[in-house]
Amino acid sequence: MNPPPRFKQVLVLSTAMLSFISFWKAAAVVLCDMGSSAYYAGSIAMNAFGPAAPWYVMAVMIFSGLMLMVYVESCAMFVRGGVYKVVNEAMGHSMAKVSVSALMFDYVLTGPISAISAGLYVSSLLYNILPLLHINWHVPHKLFAILFAVAVTAFFWRENIKGVEESSDKSLKIMIFVSAVGTVLILWALATVYIRGFKLPIFELKFTKESLGWMTNFPYLQTIGLVGIFMAFGHSILALSGLETLAQVYREVGDPKIKNLKKAAFLIFMFSLVFTGGLTFLSSLIIPGDLIAGKYSDNLLSGLALELSGPYWAKLVLQSFVVVSGSLMLVGALNTSLVGSNGVLNRVAEDGILHDWFRHLHKKYGTTYRMINLVAITQIIVIILSRGDIYLIGEAYAFGVLWSLVFKTISLIILRFREDLPRDWMFPLNLKVGKIYFPVGMCMVFLVMITAAVANLMTKRVATISGIIFTAVFYAVFQISENMNRKKARLYAPDEDSEKLNMRKEADIGTILPELDKQRKILVPVRNPNNLVHLKSVLETADDETTDIIVLAVKIARGIQLEGETGDITQEEKDLFTSVVLLAEKYGKTVKPMLVFSNDPFYSIVQVAQAAGVDEIVMGVSGSTGAEVQLESLAMSWGMLKKAGVSRPVTAKVVWEGRQLSYKLS
Amino acid sequence: MIRQEEVPLASILRGDSVFFLKGKPSKEEVVKLLTHGLYPQVRDFVTAKDLYEKVTEVEKLNNVLETGFYIPHAKLAEIDRFYAALAVIPDGSFDPKSGITVKAALLLLTPNRPIFFQQHLNMLSKLSRLFQAAFIDSLTAMKNGAQVAEAVGKSE
Repeated sequence: MNPPPRFKQVLVLSTAMLSFISFWKAAAVVLCDMGSSAYYAGSIAMNAFGPAAPWYVMAVMIFSGLMLMVYVESCAMFVRGGVYKVVNEAMGHSMAKVSVSALMFDYVLTGPISAISAGLYVSSLLYNILPLLHINWHVPHKLFAILFAVAVTAFFWRENIKGVEESSDKSLKIMIFVSAVGTVLILWALATVYIRGFKLPIFELKFTKESLGWMTNFPYLQTIGLVGIFMAFGHSILALSGLETLAQVYREVGDPKIKNLKKAAFLIFMFSLVFTGGLTFLSSLIIPGDLIAGKYSDNLLSGLALELSGPYWAKLVLQSFVVVSGSLMLVGALNTSLVGSNGVLNRVAEDGILHDWFRHLHKKYGTTYRMINLVAITQIIVIILSRGDIYLIGEAYAFGVLWSLVFKTISLIILRFREDLPRDWMFPLNLKVGKIYFPVGMCMVFLVMITAAVANLMTKRVATISGIIFTAVFYAVFQISENMNRKKARLYAPDEDSEKLNMRKEADIGTILPELDKQRKILVPVRNPNNLVHLKSVLETADDETTDIIVLAVKIARGIQLEGETGDITQEEKDLFTSVVLLAEKYGKTVKPMLVFSNDPFYSIVQVAQAAGVDEIVMGVSGSTGAEVQLESLAMSWGMLKKAGVSRPVTAKVVWEGRQLSYKLS
Repeated sequence: MIRQEEVPLASILRGDSVFFLKGKPSKEEVVKLLTHGLYPQVRDFVTAKDLYEKVTEVEKLNNVLETGFYIPHAKLAEIDRFYAALAVIPDGSFDPKSGITVKAALLLLTPNRPIFFQQHLNMLSKLSRLFQAAFIDSLTAMKNGAQVAEAVGKSE
């Protein structure tokens, strides 16, 4: 009798989340969002409270270093430590919904402000260049900016529906280009300042009636210096936008994760300080005040390029580079807002607080297109309603930025009183009381944030009204969705960290082998999501640069059943692979998970091991058979399948808590 | 210390330890016959009952190989070297669990000490490699145990 086939099909997990990136790339992804505010934050702040703005933008950028440290602590506790997760953990479900609503407000406005700002920069360039080509250009800046913003939003809307992933490679290239242009701009600006001399911006705060908001009703408060400082700080805080991207990108940061995260945070801080803070400051030294308030009010860095010392053609070339680099960064920020908001909505939908209607997948592309549609349509409405006024959007924008940061910081303070959470890093300045590290430093950061947030509530009418309405609407949607989902029969129990698993089918292991091209290979068979100690031990010690880690699950199908097996995976296998992905993310090491259908797990393990030419097979201990029996079964399959002439010994290990057995397979 | 050297199969499989089984015995019967056949070699160390119990205990977890080869085995603290007995079953013994027909089964007894475990794994691997379907078929055509033991020794 012929034995039934042992091996029918291979499913390979091909989620992008399993490739990890360097701290350079992580910093680039964050800076493509956060750094883009350099193109508009300075001019919005200057419009709000006058020539002292550069000091405050600089102060905000220095403060960003502290906020980055807050995020590092958050990431050190949760690999997927976005606002929603952290607030949910610390303050419960309701506050998490409020915070994520505020974050959505931030995301929804990031797109329009970035796209309009890019449109305004492009328009200003066309205004200078086209007449030189004898083309009459009379399109109003703001109209052009609106059309440009709608067009790029529509483009990225489509791209996101098609499911085009954000590429950290692309972000890095953009940031290299932006850094090069920024360096030239700074050096040239410094030379100009050296030639012309300079006068530091005055500290005096000159709030417009508009920027005082409801504070006009409290004139006595305006006389208190500290209140004014916080009001001005609040008007500059939008330069902090994009920090949440750090929490989103952390899961992709490679090993050693915390060390790389700290390096990325330092890079982000330095770049933001020099680029956003430095360029805003230099702009105020070089561009005359009336031009900052007028001609260059919505394209400050173009203004800086054009007001430098030097021939006009050279300045026009520099302006072109500034506009191209700025536009790349700004439209990148628009894309990040779509990707980020879709990610956040998916995350909350997994927790059952967004109706399943939103989770409907696109027939062709498999993306959650209704969520993308919702965000993109809202962004286009905002673009049109704003009439191209970035000051208006910028004012409102700060609401989402500030409140999501406020919630994040207070949540981390609360979590300091939970001893059960592991922390690989803590925000400095702590007072040890018993087992608790009382977060003195973080409390000070929170105090600044909450004061600026309250000042913003008082001074930014548009932001306060629109922000509260938006947050309330989103909160209501979440609440209603949650109630509706509760009424439904719970056909599934969503895991809080459930992973969207993309599996591709292969008929043979051979087609996967070319993807395993590192010097060393370790095969890690897995079966139980609660018994991954052996995978953990491999992830702790393997060098990601030189080692392929193949994680193999064998779906057991007995005898004839195998013939009819389909390539679908069960919830149990999804849970297993989700645990594998989360563990790989935690250590920042790439794994190659695959699932094979077989009626003999050891046969399949050996077949994959020999086909891939692994150096080690690391198994978890089986509670039903024990380590020695596992090794015996492996040795028998090893011998049976071993090809003549293959003499390389392979190490077989069985690992369990605190112990391991290690032998050679010959 | 782990002993790395290989144990030659010829040194533990004697001609009188090779048995030709007639008919289509069950897997359990094969194990019983092999245990019975090997027992004289280890009678100074273990009782027949204990030997059979130890072998059957392991066999609950053991699988038949796809090649039609089966290696019942046990580790005994009382012995200090390997022992083996081979059953050749020309008509085959059907294993309902795997759907595979077994035509050769080798009972392997290993000293139950950590230093022998690497040799034990090497032996299992070597046996599985050696007893491929074609080789087993060639054994079923042989006349006696001495021929089989010689063929095993040559093929090793």
